[in-house]
Formats: sequence, C-alpha cells, structure tokens
Amino acid sequence: MKKIILIFGVLSLLVFIRPVLGFNTNSTNSEVSARSYEDDITVAEGFVSEAFNGIKQFYQYTGFANAESGNIIMILIGIIFIYLGIKFDYEPLLLIPIGTGVILGNIPFVAGNQTGIYEAGSVLNYLYFGVVKGIYPPLIFLGIGAMTDFSSLIANPKLMLLGAAAQIGVFATFLGALYLGFNLPEAGAIGIIGGADGPTAIFLSSKLANGINVLADGTTVKNLIGPIAIAAYSYMALVPVIQPPIMKLLTTKKERLIRMKPPRAVSQKEKMIFPIVALLLTTFISPSALPLLGMLFFGNLLKESGRTERLADTARTKLIDIVTILLGVTVGASTQADIFITKDSMLIFALGAISFVIATMGGLLFAKFMNLFLKGDDKLNPLIGAAGVSAVPDSARVVHTEGLKADPQNYLLMHAMAPNVAGVIGSAIAAGIILSFLG
Amino acid sequence: MTHILLYTDKLSEGYVILFTGLVIVFSGLLLLTLFFKFGLPFMLYIYKIITKGPDKKVAEISSKVNEEFTGEVAAAISMAIYMYLDVKHDNENAILTIKQARKLYSPWSSKIYGAYNKRL
Repeated sequence: MKKIILIFGVLSLLVFIRPVLGFNTNSTNSEVSARSYEDDITVAEGFVSEAFNGIKQFYQYTGFANAESGNIIMILIGIIFIYLGIKFDYEPLLLIPIGTGVILGNIPFVAGNQTGIYEAGSVLNYLYFGVVKGIYPPLIFLGIGAMTDFSSLIANPKLMLLGAAAQIGVFATFLGALYLGFNLPEAGAIGIIGGADGPTAIFLSSKLANGINVLADGTTVKNLIGPIAIAAYSYMALVPVIQPPIMKLLTTKKERLIRMKPPRAVSQKEKMIFPIVALLLTTFISPSALPLLGMLFFGNLLKESGRTERLADTARTKLIDIVTILLGVTVGASTQADIFITKDSMLIFALGAISFVIATMGGLLFAKFMNLFLKGDDKLNPLIGAAGVSAVPDSARVVHTEGLKADPQNYLLMHAMAPNVAGVIGSAIAAGIILSFLG
Repeated sequence: MTHILLYTDKLSEGYVILFTGLVIVFSGLLLLTLFFKFGLPFMLYIYKIITKGPDKKVAEISSKVNEEFTGEVAAAISMAIYMYLDVKHDNENAILTIKQARKLYSPWSSKIYGAYNKRL
C-alpha cells in the first residue's frame, strides 16, 4: 500500500514538473489536430520560458546570488558574538541582540527594495533612526539611572576621582586617532570608546562622526557610528578578558590584599539630594552632555524619591529592555559588510582595545597615587581603580572576582561600584567636553 | 574666521583638547567629591536646624487616625496577599515550550498501525 502511494506521488510530481523541465515538446497528445497541437506547443514554450525566467529572476533576488565574501565574514562574526554571549555569558543582553543584528544586516539583498538598514524608508532604517539621531542612548541612561545605587559613592566621595582618572583612556585614544590621520571630530568619537560606555559612544559618534557634518575645510566626516558602537560594545563584553592581566601587572600581591573599611550607611535624604545636586553641577560644567546626564540623574531621582516607584520600575525594566533590543539589533545591522569592512573599522578596533587598556591603567595607577596620601584603613585597594572605566557593572564584577582570588574573604563589589558609576558620570562629562570642542 | 587657524594643526589642537578635557573632567568630579564631602553634611545640618525637633517616634504616632482599619481588614488583606503569592494555582506560566516527550513511540499515533488496519 505504502509503495503504491509512493509511486503515485512520484508520478504526479513528474507530471507537474514536466513543463518546467521542458519534456513537453514531444508529449503524448500527438493524436490531437495539428492546429491545436501547435497552439499547445507555443503555449507550452511560452510557459516554459516564462517559468525559467521567473526562476532566474527569483534566483537573482536570493541571498545566494548576491552573497559576497564580506557578507559571509560578517555573518560568521555575528554567530561568534551569539556564541560568546551564550557560552561564556559575556554580556549576553548585548551580544545576542547585536550578533543577531549583524546577521540581519548582512543577509545579501538586491538594493533598491527598501530592505537594507541604509536604504531610506526601510523598516530597519526607521529603527536605526534612534541610533543616528542619538535617541536611544538617553533612554538607556534613564534606565541605568533608575537601576543604579549611588550610595557607595555618597559614602566615599573621593572614589569619584577614580572615575575621572579612567577617562584618560578617552583622551589618549583621541590623540592616537589623530596620529593615525582621522579628523578631529572622528577622533573625538573614536576616543569615547575608552569611556567603556556603549550609549555614550553611540551618542557622541551620532553627533560627531555621522557622515553628515561638514568640516571647516569642506570635507564630510565619515559615518563611523557602526564601527564605534560595535567596538565599544564588544570590548565592554570582553572586560573580563582584558582587565585581569593589567590588574595583575600593575598591582602587587600586598596591594591586592588591602581591605577597605565598609562604607557608612547613607540616609535617604542624601540619596535624594545626590541626583539633583549632581545633575546641576555636572550639566553646568558640561551642558553638551545634558541628554545623557539629565536622563541618568532623572532616572536615579525616580528611584530614590520613594514616590515614583512605578516610573522607576518601568524605566529600569521594560523601557530599558525595549530600547536595548532596538539598539542592539540596529547597531548590529549597521555593520553591513560593504560599509563596515574598511581600513577605518580595523583601526577603530585596534584603538578601542588600546583605549580600554589605557583607561584601566589610568584607574589603577591613580588609585595607587591616591594611596600615597591616605593612611591606615582609609587606604584604597588599587584594584577598584580598574572599575573606573564605566562598563557597568561588569568591570566592578571583574574587580570583585580578582579581589576574591587574592583573598577569598575580601569583598570589593560594594567599593568597586563607586568608581564604576563615577566612570559613567565621568565619561558622559568627557563626551560633553569633546562635543563642545568639536561639535 | 578665527577657528580655521586652529584647524591648521590638528595635533596641537588635539593636545589642547586632551589637557583641557582631562582638567575639566577631573575638576568636575572633584567638585562633586568636595560637595559630597563637605557641602552635603552642612546642608543636612542646616535642614536639621530648620525643621527643629527630632523625627516622630513610633510610640507618638496616634492610632486614632486609622480607626476604620480594623483587625478584620488587615486579616483580609494579608489573606489576599498570601493567596496571591503562595496558594493561587490557576496563574499558569505564560512561557510555552514544546518539550521532547520522553516516550518517542506510541501506538496511538502510529502511521504503520493505521496502514495495516486499513489493509485488513
């Protein structure tokens, strides 16, 4: 029974595809009149050629016909991102959306059908709008503000300086990019990778290196948002790989064993005053960073005011999740091979790695420098300096685990959060300064 | 156009931005540090003087205010919370996942049985 069904199925399939394969010209209907036979042939031939053309055209639109080596490489990179996120748990909330975005953006397609992220009118292009115009970063900052507990910073304000010290990475990279021949605005946008802060990097590059601005000498800046964002996010995810060797190199065993005294309890009043005062001070110093710092401290005020728990809750869960999804996918998709694989992107990646190293070193060395002036149990464990490169909260976690390796009873997380959040503020201020100089 | 002059040497402007930028970032965060080290305790001190008197103690809070909030109401609310958090069953997990059944073969869905039955 089964065999009969199988044979019947194969036969019917053959009958159906026969016109396509062109077997129809000497077909069985030879006994019908000549005229209708001719008609049949012409119809059949027309049908065959049309079918062939259709298939040919269809093939022209498929990814197989349009694939270039660049696309394949980028798709592989996307898969590696996803793999790293799943297997090693390196910031999966970022790497998996970005990795998927990289794949989405590199599916080969025929230009002109409003498919690609760089084609005006395509859906991805509309979503990318939030990146190009710098809309997503402040929303992310709102969520970060509503998540962050600044109490360890309030308890020990001098740790704020570690967040400033790590910003040396920003300016050193800026200089390095200038030496490599980038324009001033481009160099500024590249430098902010050293701030280790994805949203800030996107914000600044969307303002400076967006491919629209025209310089004083008439040249247009390059569009570097994609490479900068990818570099910033991938190095943020790789913080657990980049930082520990530098920490070990620059600190002695004895320094790593230093125990810091537990931070004092911070009253609710102080927590409420912090966002308002910090907002006023930082934005008066660096008004260009207003969208970032304003939203950061607004989110924190929502959290600490005690009256707007609902708003804070939305900001730190649903809202930031939605924006992270959109941001991750579109930033990933912006790596369309023909625009992304350039010499500039490679340089940016190299500079980004260096900037993370310099920023970490800046924080560590400054913590050691501060130790020269501090006595007794006020001394800092220099490891927490490394948390000054924002990358919240990953670098604080790295500091914590490194501290535990040296002394299994020494919990540094609480202390490391202070320079960590100070680093966010610091890199936003640095972005504001660069923007006010070069914008 | 004065600023074109500046653009003649990118690197020198780069150094200017490097140093001023670092100084500004440091001074900004230093300002914050100083404020929270000295300014904030002072502000809180002033606030204490203005408001005078210590905060209310628990014993001073009058129970007369909430006379309508009886023990029964409290019991009902606690019961509701308890039911909601621990007892209520019909709030199913919304995540649907098709799991591989442990038993791969069942005669109830077998095609072969169906084919044989028809032949008989």
